Amino acid sequence: MVRWQRGLWLFFLPSFGLLALVLLWPLSYAVYLSFFDYYLGSGERTFIGLGNYVDLLTEARLWNSMRTTIIIAFGSVAVEFLVGFALALALYRLHGSAKVFSVLLFLPHIVTPVVAALFLKWMLASNWGFVDATLLTFNIEPPDWLGDPVWAKVSVILADAWVFTPLVMMVLYAALQGLDTSLLEAAQIDGASSWNTLRHVIVPALIPAIIFVISIRLMDVFRFFDLIYVLTGGGPGTATETITIYTYQLGFRMLEVGKASALGVITLIVVAMLLLTINRGLNKAYRGGDR
Amino acid sequence: MSAQSYPGRRRTTWVIFIALCVFTFINLTPLIWAVLTSLKDPRDAFTIPPTIIFEPTLKYHIEVWTENDFVFYLMNSLIISAGTVFISVPAGSLAAYALSRIPRRSAGPILSALFTIRMFPHMLLAIPFFVMGTFLNMIDTYPLLILALVAINQPFTIWLMHCFFLEIPRDLDEAAAIDGCSNWQAFRIVILPLARPGMTVAALFSLLLSYNEFLFALILTGTDTKTLPVAIASFGGEDISSWSLSAAGAIGIMLPIVLVMLLLQRHLVRGLTAGAVKG
Repeated sequence: MVRWQRGLWLFFLPSFGLLALVLLWPLSYAVYLSFFDYYLGSGERTFIGLGNYVDLLTEARLWNSMRTTIIIAFGSVAVEFLVGFALALALYRLHGSAKVFSVLLFLPHIVTPVVAALFLKWMLASNWGFVDATLLTFNIEPPDWLGDPVWAKVSVILADAWVFTPLVMMVLYAALQGLDTSLLEAAQIDGASSWNTLRHVIVPALIPAIIFVISIRLMDVFRFFDLIYVLTGGGPGTATETITIYTYQLGFRMLEVGKASALGVITLIVVAMLLLTINRGLNKAYRGGDR
Repeated sequence: MSAQSYPGRRRTTWVIFIALCVFTFINLTPLIWAVLTSLKDPRDAFTIPPTIIFEPTLKYHIEVWTENDFVFYLMNSLIISAGTVFISVPAGSLAAYALSRIPRRSAGPILSALFTIRMFPHMLLAIPFFVMGTFLNMIDTYPLLILALVAINQPFTIWLMHCFFLEIPRDLDEAAAIDGCSNWQAFRIVILPLARPGMTVAALFSLLLSYNEFLFALILTGTDTKTLPVAIASFGGEDISSWSLSAAGAIGIMLPIVLVMLLLQRHLVRGLTAGAVKG
């Protein structure tokens, strides 16, 4: 049996071979490139050590994009979590008709991201977009949804929430369905109010799902590209330029591939640190809160 | 919990029901609006207040697929998606099978490593692909984009298939082993037939991921291999006189996905959290 089990390792070969070829090798190559001043247009490449990193970290544009990313990430994840959780609880209460609602509410999430972004662009376009045309009918002067630096951020957050709230809803709804109903009944018999049941019974039981869904959403916000690219392209100016959009500009518009690689590595480090902190914090809050 | 037994609870249920109806309707406005736009003549599309009642026309749905290159882009999308699935799913299934059969202490680290890969910014992968593609003169060819999509798809496929293989009892392999089957025979004859539904689900999810993928397609394709998302992104949104046409295109791109998703409903949560649709 041991020998039989050892034979199983051969099954990993095709997959891990592929991963080494298309994932590990390119990623190591990107890290290697990040130590070079490399303009793809001329093909000239000079080793500059940590030069790209120093350049980037002392640059206002990077910090600006970092701030934008954090505002958009936390703004949208907060909206998604609150709305998604409320929807999940509502679905859980409804039993019978929940199925229809869950399918309808899920639609925005399954649309191709680029197409979803276009839908929202047609809603928010100035003057002729649905939102503006409706507001103008009532003689309300609408703000410039995509052209004003502050409103553009709000629009991007709402767009992200439109696409991803359904995912949060589904994960939490699935977790709710796995909940031990005897706990809820016990709380009801003890005369706990709905709010207390939610706070002391439901939320603690859902903590693993909540940590999971917030973590994957934060990871994704940091690398999500399609929505912002189509909606605002990072504009107006650099008002909605996230790290991802900035990396795109550096790498594929300015062809500074060395510097862009360095920025990619920095992003990876930031995401990793962020996730570690969040998981620690949430775990602690959960363990410390009950005892 | 018997929700029906108290009049107060029943009233709350009604309030929730109505609130959900309103929310769902508002939430779907962008979709409904796009469908309406695709059926409108431009003179109905640009009005204040927005026109709700108008004479619908399918003209633009037909025009976008006949008078533009959308059929060509669809072919590109299909070739690339199919290529990705045919490489990614078999390789991923083999690894996932082994992963579900080796001892837990060896499988655990591999699984967490795969999950960590999910955290990597795609940009960090896109740059080397672009640089290598330029050197090898492979930009705007199918294989390059397929390989890139396999890279983002493989960890997901393994992760998803692993769940399916875990549901197939180990006793079956052990019985096969005692009967003298080699690993390969046991997998092929005993396990594979049972894993087929799971593989179909993984294949459909991988298909969706590749069909929806935008970043790599934007960077690695050109005039010869442009996929649907890239085409619609450059086509739509810019010029408002083509709104009806691009709305028709956008709806057309969306429809097959809605169908596939309805097929996949039961597995949605598992697949989506693994990063199926929005890589």
